[in-house]
Amino acid sequence: MSRRNRELLLLLMAGAIATIAYVSVYAGRFHQISRWSIIYAGIFAAIFGLLHVVVRLRLPQADPYPLPLAALLSSLGLAEVYRIDPPLALLQGRWLVVGAVVFGFTVLVVRDHVHLDRYRYLIGAVGLLLLLVTIVAGTEVNGAKLWLRFAGFSFQPSEFAKIAIVIFLAGYLNDNKEMLSVPTTHVLGVPIPPLKYFGPLVIMWVLSLALLVFMKDFGMGLLLLSAFVALIYMATSRLAYVAVGGVLFAAGAALAVQLVSHVHERVTVWIDPWSHAATSGYQVLQSLFTIADGGVTGSGLGHGFLLFSNGQPVVPEMPTDFIFAALANELGLLGGIGIVLCYLLFSWRGFRIAVWATDGFSKLLAAGLAATFAVQTFLIIGGVTRLIPLTGITLPFVSYGGSSLLANLMLLALLLMISHRTNVTRAGTQTERLRLARVA
Amino acid sequence: MNKAIVRVFIVCALLFLALIGNLTYLQVVAAHSLGNKPQNHLAVAQQLRVKRGLIRAFDGSVIAGVRQKAGNYYRTYPQGSFAAQLIGYDSARYGRSGLEQSLNDYLTGRAASLGVGSILDGLIGRQPKGADVTLSLVPAVQRVAQHELAGQHGAIVVIDPGTGALIASASAPTFSPANLDAQWATLVNSSGSPLLDRADQGLYPPGSSFKIVTAGAALDAGVVTPQSVYTDTGTYVVNGGKVVNFGGEIHGQNTLTQALTFSINTTFAKVGVQLGRQRLVAAMQRFGFWQRPPLELPPGQVAVSGRYRGSTELSPAAPMNPLDVAWASCGQEQDLASPLQMALVAAAVANDGKLMKPYVVQQVTAAGGHVARRAQPVEWMQALTPQAAAQLNQMMQQVVQVGTGTAAALSGIRVAGKTGTAETGRPTNQAWFIAFAPADAPRVAVAVTIENTPGTGGEVAAPLAAAVLRTALAQSSLP
Repeated sequence: MSRRNRELLLLLMAGAIATIAYVSVYAGRFHQISRWSIIYAGIFAAIFGLLHVVVRLRLPQADPYPLPLAALLSSLGLAEVYRIDPPLALLQGRWLVVGAVVFGFTVLVVRDHVHLDRYRYLIGAVGLLLLLVTIVAGTEVNGAKLWLRFAGFSFQPSEFAKIAIVIFLAGYLNDNKEMLSVPTTHVLGVPIPPLKYFGPLVIMWVLSLALLVFMKDFGMGLLLLSAFVALIYMATSRLAYVAVGGVLFAAGAALAVQLVSHVHERVTVWIDPWSHAATSGYQVLQSLFTIADGGVTGSGLGHGFLLFSNGQPVVPEMPTDFIFAALANELGLLGGIGIVLCYLLFSWRGFRIAVWATDGFSKLLAAGLAATFAVQTFLIIGGVTRLIPLTGITLPFVSYGGSSLLANLMLLALLLMISHRTNVTRAGTQTERLRLARVA
Repeated sequence: MNKAIVRVFIVCALLFLALIGNLTYLQVVAAHSLGNKPQNHLAVAQQLRVKRGLIRAFDGSVIAGVRQKAGNYYRTYPQGSFAAQLIGYDSARYGRSGLEQSLNDYLTGRAASLGVGSILDGLIGRQPKGADVTLSLVPAVQRVAQHELAGQHGAIVVIDPGTGALIASASAPTFSPANLDAQWATLVNSSGSPLLDRADQGLYPPGSSFKIVTAGAALDAGVVTPQSVYTDTGTYVVNGGKVVNFGGEIHGQNTLTQALTFSINTTFAKVGVQLGRQRLVAAMQRFGFWQRPPLELPPGQVAVSGRYRGSTELSPAAPMNPLDVAWASCGQEQDLASPLQMALVAAAVANDGKLMKPYVVQQVTAAGGHVARRAQPVEWMQALTPQAAAQLNQMMQQVVQVGTGTAAALSGIRVAGKTGTAETGRPTNQAWFIAFAPADAPRVAVAVTIENTPGTGGEVAAPLAAAVLRTALAQSSLP
């Protein structure tokens, strides 16, 4: 079966699951099975069907698995957001339409990701600028300054900055990986590469972290740091960078816990939520109670106890940060593990695309995006299940949030582009190769 | 480069594995303890969303109703403290007790026997509708029982001997189940333990009311007849100890009937010794001792009567010397019985020796209107031969006509009864009266007990039994 037909088949399966999810959620809310739930599923299927057509036309040799996985995750997310707050789901549905446009735009305009390498400094600067604008003009929500509001829209620039910075790093590290791998001096046994090559990295890194400290967005800071360390390690294969990154992280974390009250509170609550059950620990405890209540098989999609009688969700911020708690309640351990496995599969395809890629930039970009995606998932699911301190960050594709959805659809488009280039280079038809060469 | 990429992937995979492990811990290992954490108000809020079924009395009047406020449901109690301990409570904060606990699956509409409708409700996510429960309690009798007990510590149990239906079950002091959460601290700290269901949970020395069991066992075994003659000197020396009469009375020559009528300890001690430990214990078991009466309450709320050392139940095979047997035959020594158990003893005699399974749930009606469950009277055990039961019936009538229980007499109705005045080791007594009426065609059996009273069973318990019997027999329909 061709890659695209396999993708279509998997999309149809995801569509079937989505239909069941909508029917179940609708029945749970209105006590009836209605054609509206089918219509919702139909609109959803149409959007992803369109994305499939875009991929079929422009990236025929792209990896067939990431798109259906993204479809499955976003359909479950949309169903669960609808289950918690229907008007919010309507907005999310609109964002999905916008996201589809962004996806198409990315595929049609960028055409081949290698172009991005040429503009890496520009892209890196845009990434930093996005963060800077947020600090200057952003609004503070829940102790973190993540949001930019204009024309009635809220916009979370860090989600896009994340991708821009990964693109910059992939390009920069690919060009300078040899120089970075050869240490010229040692300080206390730690190899130090030439400052000339290392300098821009340090500046970029310090800047973005400093920005995040001002934004008090510890989650995104952690995520960027992980992406940095992972990318430098993958570019140079030198574990010393990981060690240095680890030490810097430990120092940064210790400092943040001391200095930033918001972070201090998160860590205190993580260690002992029970002493703060009515105040700062309320949210994470409600999350744990909600998850535990689901048990192995769950309370059923649309049937869990997620809303108080006044309509408020039992866990504050449930449609965004705590969407996983809602899903784990209604789908149970089996569904929860299923969702984690979807993320694992998506990341696995990302890393596989990286391994298969034929050039260094493609490899680093794919692996960097896959690592970012995986770490972000780990941070938020680990946070709501109290495996690690909670950091307010979205669950890719599933959480309510336009910026997050758009950014992740861009990430998906990039991964598909990379895999298309690889497959064409390795075993594409003559026409495909020519077309790729023309585009490049 | 690829090697490093694979390594990073492996790290990511391990992180995901940690997520799965942690999730398994939360939803399997810790799920139960998290569900029961006092900080977990979700269960509480969830509970308030359920419209519980009504609990009705035999005449259909509502005992526990339901009221809606701001999307939540709350219990109402139109009849106040009516059988409060038996009905129990359903508190979001303090859990459940009584029938509210044992019938919870019916009351919340989750019991499988409620039919396909409730299962479909579950599938479609519709909040299941609670089933209504009708009890066999007769309000007029229940109210009299509670009224008679007011101001005292004690219990009254009324049973239909022919069916085993519980007609009334009163425990005093009692409480008002409305706004339970607000009065909780007061109730649990109250010296009178109003939350305790004395009728079913209370264990007391049965005293001379137990002589019904001893006499029944001896008549059954052919060891005695109602006319068997004994000589009482006020003291019976056995195994180096002695059995004496209540109040130091000396009765001289007496028949077994007279011994029961005037509650002569020495005679029953002798009958017990003649009978022996084994046959006495076997008879107790036929009356329901050492078994939990199968009333539809939570098991923890129905006490097992038998022999106890302190609070430890002794096995039926536990050794007893002849002095132990002698005192046990008089309902003292290690004997402990619940008011429910003693009502069952009276009911067995009344029903020709046939002991019916006690029940209180008359009917369960699913939300759709169909009857999911209806009480079926079932024989529990044959406590006595019909012949021995008939003889005991005659002897017990003597108690009320000329003996210690004259205070229980009713005009125009023959009452059979037996007093009990158990010594508790304190200056006060545990007073008992067990009875049934009409003696020739019994419709009602009753057990009354009063804690810590200076009076005797004949003085303080028998009049209450009379009042309850009078009311019960005046009812046009009983379960």
